[in-house]
Amino acid sequence: MKNGFTFFLGLFLALAMAWAGIVLGSHAQLGHLAPYFDENEGKAFPERLPGIAARGQLVYQDLGCAACHTQQVRRPDFGSDKARGWGDRQSVARDYVSQPHVQLGESRIGPDLANFGARPHAVDADRLTQYLYEQHGGMPSYRFLFETRKITGERSAIALKVPVSAGMEVVPTHRVQALVAYLQSLNNVYEYPEARPVAPVAEKKEGASK
Amino acid sequence: MTTAPSAATPAEVTEIDASARCSLLLLLGSALLWLVVSGALALVNLVQLHTPSFLADCPLLTFGRTQALQETTFIYGWAANAGLAVALWILARLGGSPLRSLNWVSAGTVFWNLALTLGLVGIATGDAMSNAWLHLPRYVLPMMLVAYGTIAVAGVLAWTGRRQQMTFASQWYAVAALFLFPWIFSAAQVMLVFTPERGVLQALVAGWFVQGAWTLWLAPLALASAYYLVPKVSGRAIPSYDFAALSFWTLLVVGAWTGGRHFIGGPIPAWVASIAGVSCALLLFHYIVVGINLRGAFSGGGSTVLKFVAFGLGAYVLGGFLDALTAIRGVALITQFTYFSTAQSQLALNGAYSMMMFGAIYFLVPRITGQAWASSALIRAHYLAAIIGTIGLVVALAMAGWVQGHDLNDPAVTFAAIATHTKTWLQIATAAQALLLLGNLLLLGHLLKSAASSYLAPANATFRQPPTMEASVS
Repeated sequence: MKNGFTFFLGLFLALAMAWAGIVLGSHAQLGHLAPYFDENEGKAFPERLPGIAARGQLVYQDLGCAACHTQQVRRPDFGSDKARGWGDRQSVARDYVSQPHVQLGESRIGPDLANFGARPHAVDADRLTQYLYEQHGGMPSYRFLFETRKITGERSAIALKVPVSAGMEVVPTHRVQALVAYLQSLNNVYEYPEARPVAPVAEKKEGASK
Repeated sequence: MTTAPSAATPAEVTEIDASARCSLLLLLGSALLWLVVSGALALVNLVQLHTPSFLADCPLLTFGRTQALQETTFIYGWAANAGLAVALWILARLGGSPLRSLNWVSAGTVFWNLALTLGLVGIATGDAMSNAWLHLPRYVLPMMLVAYGTIAVAGVLAWTGRRQQMTFASQWYAVAALFLFPWIFSAAQVMLVFTPERGVLQALVAGWFVQGAWTLWLAPLALASAYYLVPKVSGRAIPSYDFAALSFWTLLVVGAWTGGRHFIGGPIPAWVASIAGVSCALLLFHYIVVGINLRGAFSGGGSTVLKFVAFGLGAYVLGGFLDALTAIRGVALITQFTYFSTAQSQLALNGAYSMMMFGAIYFLVPRITGQAWASSALIRAHYLAAIIGTIGLVVALAMAGWVQGHDLNDPAVTFAAIATHTKTWLQIATAAQALLLLGNLLLLGHLLKSAASSYLAPANATFRQPPTMEASVS
């Protein structure tokens, strides 16, 4: 360590090796991953987020929703993800190629949301908006995303059905509408070729080749 | 290279220490202020875990935002400022000359903390990014990089201008940390914020950044202080010192590869998680050598400095073994996505990093101010609060995580039931965090008092013998 130059070179190489290995290595493997075009369906998957949902993703990011919710389903024999109805197959890298801000999340204080819009008992937009206004399960209310205002003329069509003083109404702001649109757009059920082999059930394979 | 740090002569000590007083106190004062802010935010965050309605109507403090705020304050406020102060001081002492470019250090500190404040306002008002350890909004990142450079350059000058060719383990760790962070930080900025990668590659880069910032920046800063303090305070040479270099390079070469353990079962190439598991096992060599090298800390007698360092070292080595354990698939199946991971990061940050820094602060502040600590009762109170608080926080979160992990794997258990099952542990964690915050407030008050008295009553010209400055709680 007497030679300063060799020492700094060593430091730099140690850093560069890990960076090249993890970042460049996975970039070489996944950097060219493109949406998968399904000829039968005539469109490519995953689909791009509609404009309002893309704005909703920013709301999801800036409120820090990822602090409690993951967006990654593990394979059926690893954890209870499938049994909890979060998805029949594990999430694969291709699911995320169209997302500008990927939010895999590291904590499951609340449920996984990777397929929130595709759940068997999907929550409709009105109910979801209501959940965000009132406390639901362990999730706090997000009342600051709503506006309580005086009814002028007719009651707004999108006003929430919640108890509020006479002559007033509670209306969702654009931010919460975008957030709801984003949550409902979360749908990664399409079975890509690389997502198939992990399903341990035999009939799954046949179903996927349709 | 095979000699443990020897004691410097008193004349050198006073000159080196006194000249850096202003700049280092600025760094340390900012660090402790941020530590208290971070502790208060962590307290709010933990209360929100078991009482979700707490401050729910305040848009600035949603659960996600308080978490991002407290993490950012801890890392870029407390850890960065304190680590820089300690690293600069150690490099000056072992280099044998007073620090140069101190005006740049002070200016850099001011700008670093201004940028951080602006960034925190940005996070609270909706400009947060969603990457762990990098929630700061894009507009403050370049300024922070430049400010860091102006502070760190003093350390590099102290290294290149050292009086003797021979170097010590403490210097390697300090220089590595100062030199490597700007590379990691700028690479992460480019690949996550300014020209973001596509798809899951974002998560991979973020994972590499978090692990890199820990193993190539914060952990070396903490180890630099431990490798300096243990032989210095105990007066004994480091045992098996020949292995220290190998251990150092193991940490640097292998450390950053271990980040992929968080992605087990995730939508990323499986080899990333597999390599991370292997790297975690390889890295155990580093932890074992650090434990052997610095075992003198555990028989430090009544020295407060060594008590803090010993706790930090214990937490550091334990954290390394827990990382390796949770990188095994069967264990990750339970601990992944739970409070157990939070407990692990608290063990590393509060348990290992903060404790070793506290040790360094108790050692260096009397030397730069020229006055002993004002009150041994305050030191004792801080020591007890820090130890009990950290143990309580880590154990309670780990237990909550273990319960949560088992519950998550049973599809019949609802999230409401999980919240009920973990509530008691989370309440204990909250109490522990409150204690930790109280202890850190005491340290901040104590530092301000010492700094004020050093300016009001300038140190007497005669050099005080180190033993009279030594803080002791025995």
